[in-house]
Amino acid sequence: MDALVSKAEKICDQAEVFATEKSSDTVSFENARMKNIKSSIQSGIALRILKEGKQGFAYTKNPADDELIQNALVSLQGGVDGLFTFPLTRDIPALKTYNPHIETVSNTALVEECSRVCELLAQRTQGQINVSASRSVTSINLRNTAGTNLSVKSSLYALTTGILYPHTSASLHRIFVSKSFEVARNDYIDFLINTYNQSTREISSPLKNMKVIFLPETVHVLMQRVRSGANAQSIYQNISPVSQRINKQIFDEKLSISNDPLNDQLPFARAFDDEGVPCRHFPLVHRGILKNFYNDLYFAQKLNTAPSGHGFRSGMWGGEPVAIKPTPSLSHLTIEPGTQSFDEMVHSVDRGIIIAEALGGHSGNIPNGDFSIGVSPALYIENGEIIGHVKDVMATGNIYSTLNTIIAIENRVYPSPGGTFPALLLDTVRLTAKT
Amino acid sequence: MFETLRSIVSSITAGYADIRYECKSETKIAFQGRELFHVGSNTTDGFVIRVLQNGGLSSIAFTRRSDAERAVQTARDNALLMSEHTHKPISFAETEVIRETFQPPLTEDPRKLSIDEKLLIIRHYNSIPLRYEKIVTTFLQYNETIREKYFVSTEGTELREDLVTTTLSGLITSKEGSLTQNVRVAAGGSGGFTVLRHREDEFERKSKIALDLLHAKPVAGGVYNVVLNQDMAGVFTHEAFGHFSEADLIEDTPSMRERMHLGSQLGNEVLNITDDPTLPGQLGFYKYDDEGVRSRPTPLMKQGVLVGRLHSRRTAAAFAEALTGHCIAEDYRFSPIIRMGNIFIEPGQHTLNELLLMLGNGLYILDAKGGQTSGENFTFGAQYGYLVKDGRLDTMVRDINISGNLYQTLMNITGVGNDLEFCQVGGCGKGQLNIRSCHGGPHILVQNVVLGGI
Repeated sequence: MDALVSKAEKICDQAEVFATEKSSDTVSFENARMKNIKSSIQSGIALRILKEGKQGFAYTKNPADDELIQNALVSLQGGVDGLFTFPLTRDIPALKTYNPHIETVSNTALVEECSRVCELLAQRTQGQINVSASRSVTSINLRNTAGTNLSVKSSLYALTTGILYPHTSASLHRIFVSKSFEVARNDYIDFLINTYNQSTREISSPLKNMKVIFLPETVHVLMQRVRSGANAQSIYQNISPVSQRINKQIFDEKLSISNDPLNDQLPFARAFDDEGVPCRHFPLVHRGILKNFYNDLYFAQKLNTAPSGHGFRSGMWGGEPVAIKPTPSLSHLTIEPGTQSFDEMVHSVDRGIIIAEALGGHSGNIPNGDFSIGVSPALYIENGEIIGHVKDVMATGNIYSTLNTIIAIENRVYPSPGGTFPALLLDTVRLTAKT
Repeated sequence: MFETLRSIVSSITAGYADIRYECKSETKIAFQGRELFHVGSNTTDGFVIRVLQNGGLSSIAFTRRSDAERAVQTARDNALLMSEHTHKPISFAETEVIRETFQPPLTEDPRKLSIDEKLLIIRHYNSIPLRYEKIVTTFLQYNETIREKYFVSTEGTELREDLVTTTLSGLITSKEGSLTQNVRVAAGGSGGFTVLRHREDEFERKSKIALDLLHAKPVAGGVYNVVLNQDMAGVFTHEAFGHFSEADLIEDTPSMRERMHLGSQLGNEVLNITDDPTLPGQLGFYKYDDEGVRSRPTPLMKQGVLVGRLHSRRTAAAFAEALTGHCIAEDYRFSPIIRMGNIFIEPGQHTLNELLLMLGNGLYILDAKGGQTSGENFTFGAQYGYLVKDGRLDTMVRDINISGNLYQTLMNITGVGNDLEFCQVGGCGKGQLNIRSCHGGPHILVQNVVLGGI
């Protein structure tokens, strides 16, 4: 990497080299039986160069320095703005991101844990059980001509368990993550079994005047709209509905949302972003008041503000990190827990729907804050108890009204798609169904 | 390259093994509003090995040639681990041994155009919507992806096939006061660069829709009879029906497999659905899949009766059904899974006007805006629509999202148009992103569709 930085420095004003290595193993079970086992050993390297206010970008999987530099030069000639400066970052917090025990866990152990979870569930429920376990080790190295020399090694163990409703692939599911292998805890198993068993009956009910609980697994639908509104890119493009609302109340005062990359209790904590800018605890919304917009080096310069440490190489549909230029990204989004347990939230509802899985959360007018999702499964609550599920339900709303009337927030958070979230009990989500 | 692959695959002691090497070249040009945001061309490459041993199947993807020995050992160990724990040994359906190099026909090879010329064309298209005051921004991206694929198996198959994909896709955003609206724009295909030339009319048309949406009414949630245009019909076919036709999604779900048995009357008798990756020039065109199986037209539904499904070698054996050649990987980072190629509703008899008259009162819904399926349930968005009164188009409506049940909706398709069209840009995210996932259809009339509104 150092050689590449030195070579690149000779043909530009500034250069940055970003390299990753990742190895992973995944075991999956369907219908409680082993279905697949896959492994991957991937590496890649990306180069950004800045010269006379323009930037060039190139990447490859198998390092060939001259080709990489040549591609970056061709890119530079395209004329993309590069008016920012690569940072000099030192003395970042030491985070515990890697547990070496992960390297000693065999794939046999993953298979045995999946088998154990399947057996536990099969003893107490009739639904089809799908389980997958995976582990990975990821290394990131970042160098730039300002003198930044940073690296992080992260380990991940993840277990995903789902119980399917009959004649569908709609499931109740939950993910467990850790920095090394752990057997699934009883409360993880119990939530799935109890909630599923209560909701197996198909119910036909009018959906008027119903309260709605978003499970942690579906809160990403709402947070995707929050991400859009608070993204410096949206501010710069003048499409954010909250561009003039800093330090103004935009949501219910129960709601506090932040990005928390320094929390190394969870896997993939980060002390620096993919551009070498230090990460920090970053409040987006505090007690309903909009506090910050998040940015990367590019949009910080465009908006004439300081970089916030949110330049990450991630895409909506995954993608290869080295092939993606950094863009503003909330890598470690979380919602501050509330005061009620999940059971207390359910008990407080006379009639309601639990959104356990959301379909189409990525479609609709996201910049405007609108959502219109299929709910599958939609668990049905009556008189404070889950008594079944309703089919063909759609839930719709706009976050700037829906998140203004939050009834309750669950008192713990769970690793979920798009962040670490609690369940949310809401009052103004519109529901539609054929019934 | 074949020599290297032969060398690696011959070192694998197993009942069956294959190796795929891909060199992937990508050219990207992106505009955000008036600003050029990205331009460049890059090449990446890597290998995928699959091992089938004693009924256990495993795969490993790796990027460095020097990791080959470790990868072979891991794949073999994993296949044996699976063989010890699987209740049903995996086998592969028999396929012909092929040695061929296939280059797709291109009307204009994008590799022969300079990046400057491409940049000039994309800049021109991007400028069209930005002439309008209330178009506040655009996102427009040119993607050129060339996969040079090499495949070698222990059965003796040796294949080289290139997949050339050129697409232009993006979003045009309008704003008035606090209201923001957007529409998608898309053009492209697998047949070369020519399809991206002279597309000014499409950008003008979509710009006008983005502006008109600022004055459209939000649709009220409820149950409607609707006419779907070709793109919406195609998305329905892909999301609601097509995924259920992928044998790997139902193979180990007994309740789904029971409902999807061949011979079942699942749809209205006006409905015929086929997947055909061999259609030249369409986005989903390919000759051989990533297991080295020749692709072929696969009828899936005839007069509402389920007559076929899409297979890999593994599922064709498990279902005791014929191979179809539908096992595809995103690139060298993935082992292949079952994907649709060009899936479409076959054209019927009716013109659009006839379908609107048959509809009477309801909605005419146009152009898809993303979709998702979960078993029998599906949801997808539309970019815009019109109220239909007495068979005539009335006011424009926005914020349309459709949800439904596959089986009920298949039965509720009561009219099929005669105007088949295929999409030009794809993007199916079934674990891997398939940028060549192509869907099509004519206009269709559907009864009792749930709309969410906002």
